[in-house]
Amino acid sequence: VAGRAFAFADSEIIHLARHEFIPVTADDWYQRRRDDAEGEFFRKVANQGPRKGEGGSTRQGIYCLTADGELLAYKNAGQNAHVMREVLQQALSRWRALSAERRQPGAVQVGDPAAVDRRYVRELPPGGLALRVFTRALDRDGKGDYCDAACKVGSGDEAGRDHLWLTRDEWKSLVPAQKKPGTTINVPKPIAERIARFHLIDNTRGEPPMWSQEDIRQLTMTLRLIDATDDRLKLRFAGEVLLATAADPSSAKRGFDARLAGILEYDPAKGEFVRFDGVAVGDHWGEGTYTRGARPGRTALGVAFELADLKSPADLVPPQAARDPWAYFGPGYRLQVGSR
Amino acid sequence: MPRTSIACTLATVLALGLLPGRALAIDPLAGDSWTRVHALIKPSPAEQGWEKIPWLTSLWEARKQAAAAGKPILLWEMDGHPLGCT
Repeated sequence: VAGRAFAFADSEIIHLARHEFIPVTADDWYQRRRDDAEGEFFRKVANQGPRKGEGGSTRQGIYCLTADGELLAYKNAGQNAHVMREVLQQALSRWRALSAERRQPGAVQVGDPAAVDRRYVRELPPGGLALRVFTRALDRDGKGDYCDAACKVGSGDEAGRDHLWLTRDEWKSLVPAQKKPGTTINVPKPIAERIARFHLIDNTRGEPPMWSQEDIRQLTMTLRLIDATDDRLKLRFAGEVLLATAADPSSAKRGFDARLAGILEYDPAKGEFVRFDGVAVGDHWGEGTYTRGARPGRTALGVAFELADLKSPADLVPPQAARDPWAYFGPGYRLQVGSR
Repeated sequence: MPRTSIACTLATVLALGLLPGRALAIDPLAGDSWTRVHALIKPSPAEQGWEKIPWLTSLWEARKQAAAAGKPILLWEMDGHPLGCT
């Protein structure tokens, strides 16, 4: 998202967002589909601007609006801080032109929404574990070690972001039953495949295609207990993966040939993982419909994982691939009872 | 060229990593060296300026706070959540 690197890294825009507005973010894929009060409110606002969602098309952009739904300004210009500053100032001018009675605190009453369309709500499963996932285009230096790739800012220069979710039963399956150092377990197939298909992706330039089941050409992930004390189990994570859109990787339009490494630490007293650091790094090639501009040929790509402490609302943003929760969690996934 | 000289030359070339398609001279994931790669991939402080903004993730909650505070709403809406996807 170029806006992270451009508009919302600008000090004046940060100041305006913090002090003059209530800032909020949303994934348009959900917002433009949800059939509930929030979805209706959003569409009412968006319909006052240029993106009216014809044929279900995107309504993405940056909106300034009142709590009762009047659009003050719109622009899809997160990549241009100069334009965005003007848009925010324009919105504030229109806001200040409204009557003082309408602008005063409490003038608008907003209760709880009458209903929520659960088809478009994704929540971390109870007792589940969330990881932050970062992706970065890499290069190799003269020694063969990895270094940051020189890409154009906004076109793959920044780290891509996502989150990885595991259910309580899934993360518990990663704790070895035997506490003897040297004990090695295979990462259960549903977890290994979720990591490979939905998180070993190149999202450094936008929304990438995920890997299909058939694209998995090789996949091994293991955890080896390397240290066991009363208060800590330390596991070394290792693996290899070959993802390719054709059985013969040399002819595949898209692929990722990577190795994985990391350390997990489990606190038996707390009954939780306290460290979940890992990387996948290797050669990636190809691009998707919304990720044009890939570097030519096979180039280094790295993916890093770490525990999310869930203290920030950003930590609860669902995995990109959880738009299809049955693909992400498996066919046993169920929407919450009472969903519309 | 004597066989020993050929072997020596080949070994030197391999050591210097001069052959096309060579293996990496060092293994970036060996031992705990993967932690350097881990740190390299994570966002730098310069990439995290946008985190200084206290973004909410619920438009309805933003409506409530905006109404209570007497402020307008700034909504950043993208295909792919701005705080988490891509």
